[in-house]
Amino acid sequence: MTESGEDLLRKALAGAVAGLDESRRLAVVEVAADGIITFELRRDDLGRPRCRFGPVVAWTSLADEHAWDHSGRDLDPTGQDPTEEAVIRAAGVHSHAALILVCSFPGSPLAGQALAWLHAARPEAAAFVQADVRVDALLREVVLNDPLDRPYELVVLKRSAMTGRLELAAHQLFGIGTRPGATAEVTARCESGDDRGTTFAVVAWGRKPLLLSLQSARLVPGRYDFTVELERPGRVRLTGLPGLVEDDRTWADLVATVPRQLGNRDVSQHLVCAVEISGAQENVTQRLDRLRQMIATMSAGLADLLEVSLITYGAHSYERGVQEEPVEVVDWLVSPGQALTSLNRLEERGPGAEGHPHGAQLEDMLAVVVGRVAGREAGRTVLLTVGDRPPHPPRVNGTLLPCPHRHDWDLLLRRLEQHPGMAFGAICDRDAQEAGPVWSRLGATALTRLDALDIREFGAELGLTAPQDQSVPFPLIEVP
Amino acid sequence: MTNMRNGRRTALDAGSGRSQPNIAMWGAPGSGKTTLLAALNIALLRQPGSWSIVGADPASTGFLTDKTTALSRDKVFPPATQVLDNYNWFLVGQSEQRRARWFRRSRTARAHKIGINLLDPPGGVFGNRQGVTSQQELLRNLVQSRGIVFLFDPIRENEDGDAFEYLHGALAQLAEQVIAGADTTDGRLPHHLAVCITKFDDYKVLETAKRLRLLTADPEDPFGFPRVSNEDGKELFQELCRVSASGNADMALNAIDRFFHKDRIRYFVTSSIGFYVNPRTKVFDIDDYENLVPAVFRTASGQPTSGAKFANGVRIRGEVRPINVMEPMLWLGQQISTP
Repeated sequence: MTESGEDLLRKALAGAVAGLDESRRLAVVEVAADGIITFELRRDDLGRPRCRFGPVVAWTSLADEHAWDHSGRDLDPTGQDPTEEAVIRAAGVHSHAALILVCSFPGSPLAGQALAWLHAARPEAAAFVQADVRVDALLREVVLNDPLDRPYELVVLKRSAMTGRLELAAHQLFGIGTRPGATAEVTARCESGDDRGTTFAVVAWGRKPLLLSLQSARLVPGRYDFTVELERPGRVRLTGLPGLVEDDRTWADLVATVPRQLGNRDVSQHLVCAVEISGAQENVTQRLDRLRQMIATMSAGLADLLEVSLITYGAHSYERGVQEEPVEVVDWLVSPGQALTSLNRLEERGPGAEGHPHGAQLEDMLAVVVGRVAGREAGRTVLLTVGDRPPHPPRVNGTLLPCPHRHDWDLLLRRLEQHPGMAFGAICDRDAQEAGPVWSRLGATALTRLDALDIREFGAELGLTAPQDQSVPFPLIEVP
Repeated sequence: MTNMRNGRRTALDAGSGRSQPNIAMWGAPGSGKTTLLAALNIALLRQPGSWSIVGADPASTGFLTDKTTALSRDKVFPPATQVLDNYNWFLVGQSEQRRARWFRRSRTARAHKIGINLLDPPGGVFGNRQGVTSQQELLRNLVQSRGIVFLFDPIRENEDGDAFEYLHGALAQLAEQVIAGADTTDGRLPHHLAVCITKFDDYKVLETAKRLRLLTADPEDPFGFPRVSNEDGKELFQELCRVSASGNADMALNAIDRFFHKDRIRYFVTSSIGFYVNPRTKVFDIDDYENLVPAVFRTASGQPTSGAKFANGVRIRGEVRPINVMEPMLWLGQQISTP
């Protein structure tokens, strides 16, 4: 059955192009006045329809090859007309691609015969007869107006307002089905970038993200409103950003420049320092000393935005009749200067009483912090634990004796981990692997050995200081 | 008969000069024989009744007093015995026997005096050429005793796995001497054997018993300690043998079955120190029962102190409340006193 009408043909072509993917192809064969031309369409890795066409196979060449004149032809032993075979081969209709046949020169008996042969070879193919239609122009129009088969997104960095932690993320610009000409308005903050400035990368999300467009602009840090226009599948245009140029860096190079944390220069910080005071005097002194350096360095950068709390914890006593020293909240929400004075007093006091030699009151300390932090609604809190030993379990488990108060360190730590705006830093006497899993969690944001502490870097990881040369390569979007 | 080595009399010749029924406490070096003896003394002192342990001579009395004090007051374990000392004690007490004659019932008290030898040789096993005299001494004691308490330390077995090595050599030589000279055809030793599975207070042992659903409770126990009945002791023993470091502990079980009459073997799950009891609650707590605490090796100023005082680097956390330590002795006493 044949249909006619340019609109119907356009609609059929658009529908067939929309059904393409990376494996399914489409062939459009035009039987024209001067010969046969085949268009092959497929989608590329980015989901864009691509059209390829060969030269026109002229009627004359088909006649030369196979004696188009019926009087002089030879019969094929199989009974197939050699001219029919030549037409079918020239059109390439035996491929596995879907097929649309178009006859644009219906007045010619040659064209009519060829269309009949082709349709006979692929009877499921849709066939159109439309005089003077420009199939190439129609296909170009269909391809350019093809709706997106996958979303296009802008690569951004999301910064947690509470933790300062940066994460690579995607901000959707155009969803599936968006047609060319659509625009998306974006508002993002741009920080100081490197020598290329801030990078605006648009990716297409198929099975994996693929880079579609990469441009950079050296911008003054601040908020920017810009527009992204979908010009056609695979091409976007950004407006509203001054000095935008193409960027030729690789994706790996760009990702490597993303810092883990961005200093919070405008958010108040609560640094809760929990220090273990059990063990040898030398170790305790070293812990207090490092803590002093941390507080002094952080307060220099954050000034009035930093508040400090100081907690000491020691070892449980399992000796009958020996009262153990409980966890002590030495300071809570005081100035860094006051905390430093308290640290001096602690150092003069020396180590706490010896108790269990292999465990510490870590779980009791966590219970105190949970109790105090739970009531605090706003602000960012960093729990910095400085010590060595593991906590006691809530019940006997064949390792350490249970906590006398039955505190469950895992449960308490989980509650803190779920608290908004909480960050965890740990300075451990030993390697984290040696110290056990609890120290890895206590140092989830930043973890270091006592004798390998780089205060500035550690502070930057905790979001307490910004490294001097920190650059932010992508636009920033704040999240709670 | 006089022990010529140290001039002390053994349980065989102490007292009236008559031969007494005799129990030998035996186990691998460091398996807790001395601790069990001290625990037995504590348990008897805590228990209302007539039974007690008395030394056969001043040295044995002093030894028992020292070890009992160390355990109950100082909360430390006796260090492993370094020199073979053949101390001797008597388990003395009375048992009541009921008799029915025609229409009258009467009760008669029967006095017992059972010798206890602590066979505590220094390290080494049967078959080694070192310490031949010690081995001969041990063997002589085993031959002369009628009841044997064999200590099986599952924690030590899990780490060292030497129970079979220690047991089998001794049993083979014992069988050679006893069975070869006796008019017997079944090839088994005439002894009664109480196998004591020690360290029931340890997490691994209690958890194993719990996993096997072997725990029971004595409703009359004021502390509510869990227990494993003597009928289930062998099952726990078998399970604990499976995790032996050497993988040979199952052969120890087979050796016991091979060398002793089935009806003369009983398994006891014991603890010399018992479970920890919080002094405030005074009841067993399944979440907090371990009665050992690591010894502190540092002073408050961080200076290390001598840990020699504490065997294995641990000390006892709370009160010593022995579990099932009297029962093997009383069972053996009853068995070997029966004419």
